[in-house]
Amino acid sequence: MLNVSVFCFLASYAVALVLELVRQRMDSPASRVGMLAFAAAGLVAHTMYLLLRASQTHLPPLLSSAHDWLLVLAWLIVVIYFGLSIRQRGLAMGIVVLPAVLAIVASSYFVTMAPSQLMIDFRGVAMLHASSLVFGIGAIVFGLAFSLLFLWQHWRLKRGALSSPGNGLPSLEALARMNRWSMLVAVPLISIGMLTGIGLALGSAEQPRSMTWSDPVVLGGLVSWGLMCFLLIRLMSQHRSMGRDVAWLTIASCSFLLVTIVGLQMITAAMGSKTVHGLAKPIASQPARETGGAQ
Amino acid sequence: MSCNHHTSQLSVRERLAFSSPESLERAYLQLRQRFDGCEFVILSTCNRVELYAGWDDSVQTELATRPSLRPLAQFLAEFHAVPLDEFVGELEERTDEGVVLHLFEVVSSLHSMVLGEPQIVTQVKEAYRAAELQQSCGPLTHGLFQAAIRASSRVRTETRLAEGRVSIASVAVGEFGMSIFDSFEDKQVLVIGAGEMAEETLRYLQDAGAKKLVVVNRNFERAERLASDWNGQAFDWSTLETHLGQADVVVSTTGSSEPIVTRERFQKATKLRPAGRTMFILDLAAPRDFEAAVGQERDVFLYDIDSLRQTCERNRKARHREIETAREIVRDEANRFLVDLKRRGLGGVVTRLREDWHTVSQQEMNRLFAKLSHLEERDRLLIEQTIERIVNKLLHPPLEVLKDEVASGTHNGLLDALKRLFRIAD
Repeated sequence: MLNVSVFCFLASYAVALVLELVRQRMDSPASRVGMLAFAAAGLVAHTMYLLLRASQTHLPPLLSSAHDWLLVLAWLIVVIYFGLSIRQRGLAMGIVVLPAVLAIVASSYFVTMAPSQLMIDFRGVAMLHASSLVFGIGAIVFGLAFSLLFLWQHWRLKRGALSSPGNGLPSLEALARMNRWSMLVAVPLISIGMLTGIGLALGSAEQPRSMTWSDPVVLGGLVSWGLMCFLLIRLMSQHRSMGRDVAWLTIASCSFLLVTIVGLQMITAAMGSKTVHGLAKPIASQPARETGGAQ
Repeated sequence: MSCNHHTSQLSVRERLAFSSPESLERAYLQLRQRFDGCEFVILSTCNRVELYAGWDDSVQTELATRPSLRPLAQFLAEFHAVPLDEFVGELEERTDEGVVLHLFEVVSSLHSMVLGEPQIVTQVKEAYRAAELQQSCGPLTHGLFQAAIRASSRVRTETRLAEGRVSIASVAVGEFGMSIFDSFEDKQVLVIGAGEMAEETLRYLQDAGAKKLVVVNRNFERAERLASDWNGQAFDWSTLETHLGQADVVVSTTGSSEPIVTRERFQKATKLRPAGRTMFILDLAAPRDFEAAVGQERDVFLYDIDSLRQTCERNRKARHREIETAREIVRDEANRFLVDLKRRGLGGVVTRLREDWHTVSQQEMNRLFAKLSHLEERDRLLIEQTIERIVNKLLHPPLEVLKDEVASGTHNGLLDALKRLFRIAD
């Protein structure tokens, strides 16, 4: 019998983050192995949780609810982070990626677990909408991480300090390139996600959950999308090196987008408001976030 | 026999060096003629000239008479036509375990001028290969050099002795430069001045892929010379600001007593530079060529000789912390090699002893069987097996004790006693 809860992998990722922080002070094979082991254990529990949720709702986790969608997003980020950490021994990626993962997983506690009828009625388009957004926002999280690492490396080099074995960072040029690629991937995907989302809501105009332009999730999403498009244009028009200003702009835009997409859903869920993603239920009225009974 | 940077001056080492393959070939030929039956490996680098010699006890050679330094030093003196008195005091001799430890430490870069530098392994491998080509190696030197190379690879993988760069130019390019840029291939390099440090830094920059080089110097002829040596272009001093505005990497090494680039001059030179374009400046001059305030400009990374020296010193200290671990590995590997070597030497004695005893027993049995002709085949076989067991049982305790002594490294007296007692010739 399996009994996996969100807390299981949330705790594993938190321990992995603590070990990653320990590595900054004193790098040792034990702390690296421990960090990878906890991240792997969290990933296994995370995968099992998503599989069990899919078997319970009879829907892919991307479509079943905002709760599951956020967990898929976190899962995707952890998979990429885990792969990068294994490939590059000294890369200090976890310091910025793991807090983002923890925030996303923790925020999944506060959004609805109820499936949206819209997603069920228009499954094909809904899948395109949810998957392009999940990959787009995944790329945004990595863009945010690369920009933070860029500023860290920039700060260190300005002071004449170098990376130590436990907190190795790529060169400024490599970080700028990775950031640029993240944005190049993210913005088109988010654009597809936004457009299909609007089409999806407009297509279901007769239904009671139709989209309104005053919906905070729609409004916030559109504003942050516009901001991301501006950032992409700015990145494309810049010299291929990235200055500190661009790093700050990327951090501001990406953070705004994440706060808008995740934060607004949490606020509307807390208020019990009706949004384009369905009627949110306050946390107290939702079932316990524990999936058990698989045999 | 060793003449190295700890014991002698460069002026002596360079006179004793085997600088070309031809001189090395001649040296091996003369060594073979002079010390017939001996094995040799010559290690000749800018920091050391070392002769490793080995021979079997059966070989009659003047090297066997201690100290063996004298005949080898004599050879060096005659080969290089340098009076013996001028360098004999700067030579050192090591024998037996001392040689093994010395070579293992040399190849592990524990004796190098720059601790942990990697070139010495290649140099030792090349020296060993050259000796092999000249058919100057034997079982002893083969085993010794192969074990030494194994020890150095353990030191490299199990310690951080070779981590972190320790020369100013390598730290500047390999650590700071590579933390800013991914590659130097498409970067515009500007060299201001044509000093020695500029040349050394250019070597590292070109190794890292730098191709576009511009040299600006007050003395145009020197600029041209440096530029032609490194496939670059030389420009007049008056174009300094123009090239400064276009450069990604700047190496400055002038002998100016005042900063040649003030913050105002820098701002003027980079006015048209695209925003976000990074500039990496290495101010290797003393006094400095760039005003420190230039480093406060956006996307400018300015390093002077002091900041680079601090990093070198930190890396050097980190390497020094690894010395003890490296020495333990070297001792362990040297001990393993010596035990193996002694076991191999012991193997011959044991075989000879067994053969002698079994020959004696066989002769006695033959004599006995001739007298007792009525014995059946089955009875003969039983007697033969019994005598065989007796011989083996009698031999077992002394041989076991000898093997234990070999493992602990104190076997020589016992082995000699055994040879004398049972008249076993080498």
